[in-house]
Amino acid sequence: MNLWEYVGERWDLIVFETVQHASMVAQCVLIAAVLGVLIGVATYRRPRPSALATAVAGVLFTIPSLAMLGLLIPPLGLGVAPSVTAIVLYALLPIIRNTVVGLRGVDPLLVDAARGLGMSRGRSLTRVELPLAWPVILTGIRVATQLAMGIGAVAAYVSGPGLGEQIFSGLARLGGANAVNATLTGTLGVAILALLFDGFFVLLGRFTTPGGRLGGARA
Amino acid sequence: MTVETAAAKEETRPEPNIGRSWHVVLPPLCYLAVGVAMVAYTRAVPLDSIESGSLDLPFVLRRTWEHIRLVFFSTVLVLAVALPLGVLLTRRALRRATPLVLSLVNLGQAIPSVGMVVLLAVLFQIGFWTAVAALFAYSLLPTLRNTMVGIEQVDPRLVDAGRGIGMSAAGVLFKVELPMAAPVILSGVRTTLVLNVGTAGIAAFIGAGGLGDLITAGVSTQRNLVLVTGCVLIAVLALLLDWLGGLAQRLLSPKGLS
Repeated sequence: MNLWEYVGERWDLIVFETVQHASMVAQCVLIAAVLGVLIGVATYRRPRPSALATAVAGVLFTIPSLAMLGLLIPPLGLGVAPSVTAIVLYALLPIIRNTVVGLRGVDPLLVDAARGLGMSRGRSLTRVELPLAWPVILTGIRVATQLAMGIGAVAAYVSGPGLGEQIFSGLARLGGANAVNATLTGTLGVAILALLFDGFFVLLGRFTTPGGRLGGARA
Repeated sequence: MTVETAAAKEETRPEPNIGRSWHVVLPPLCYLAVGVAMVAYTRAVPLDSIESGSLDLPFVLRRTWEHIRLVFFSTVLVLAVALPLGVLLTRRALRRATPLVLSLVNLGQAIPSVGMVVLLAVLFQIGFWTAVAALFAYSLLPTLRNTMVGIEQVDPRLVDAGRGIGMSAAGVLFKVELPMAAPVILSGVRTTLVLNVGTAGIAAFIGAGGLGDLITAGVSTQRNLVLVTGCVLIAVLALLLDWLGGLAQRLLSPKGLS
């Protein structure tokens, strides 16, 4: 049986697993983006807390995903809970780091001007600083999404949802008829999903970058 | 150029701050302490027969050694291939191909590590060297990418100046381009190293040994202690090697560049 026949025969299952994978990654990245930007906003003005937040996220980030998933099995069991927790933890680092870097990169003169116009701290943050830092933050979210895709595949080992199941069923059938087909389906599926998401972020960047920045420092 | 420079900046991870000497050794000592404490704990608590089989000290040490060997061979292979290839692809004759290769590399990074490992195992055979090949294929990209980006972002005027004072092409490469690109290249090597520690854990799925064996054994026999020991030791190894990579990044980058 070749790859096309394999995919054709199991089309429904593969579509289901693909949708599961995409939705898991999207939800995790959304949670991580909200948390990460909040942590970034809360700490970017204070060097010590932001260094601490980045250091803690950096240590979590360095721990390999399989080890992290394994450590989450005793408290959370198997299934969706450890997968989602691990993915959110990994997605935090690039988002926190880029939020801090992006907000710090905003020209202080502009912030000063905003305050001078009578904007409050919060208003200056939401109307001036965050929009200007947005391209950098978005890059962080994009990196986080790519990571989440790969970790989502490993998460099938702890019975997480998604395309990783194809890869592990290929492994379970090692030497069997459809081992290569199943593994290829899972691997290529995740890769294609990752590229689609990446394309989405490129478009999102085009449409949400404030006008004055277009064609500027970040192409 | 601006995009590449921004990408390079993104890739440069913060280096350990060498202010006071004890500041440098504090993190690795903490990591080591966690690892030692974990192993000591498994010695101290009563174990059933399955647990004592998997947590036997020589067994754990052998798995750790296998893990280090997996990481060592794959990283050395990556260095031997990615550095010359990166240099070659940024020479003038091939410079036009650089953006193309970079986007291919980015495409390749979309492939999940576990897929790469399992795919090589189902296509060829299970075992140590298949795992090394998978680790190599997966972790080649960051070093290759950073070598190319690092050399690309060297100010062309400096290269010109080098040629202008009579340096040969090789002289410019070794005395100007590579030293200037060193921080970015080393940051890529560090990423490769850490990726390899993680992917080497996955290699246990295809019978390559390593500390991942403790994880699979722990999950399949439902012994959380075995599982957690494996996870903690892999995490400690990753953090230690990341620290070593950071140190190398610091020491091997030319002084006065930052």
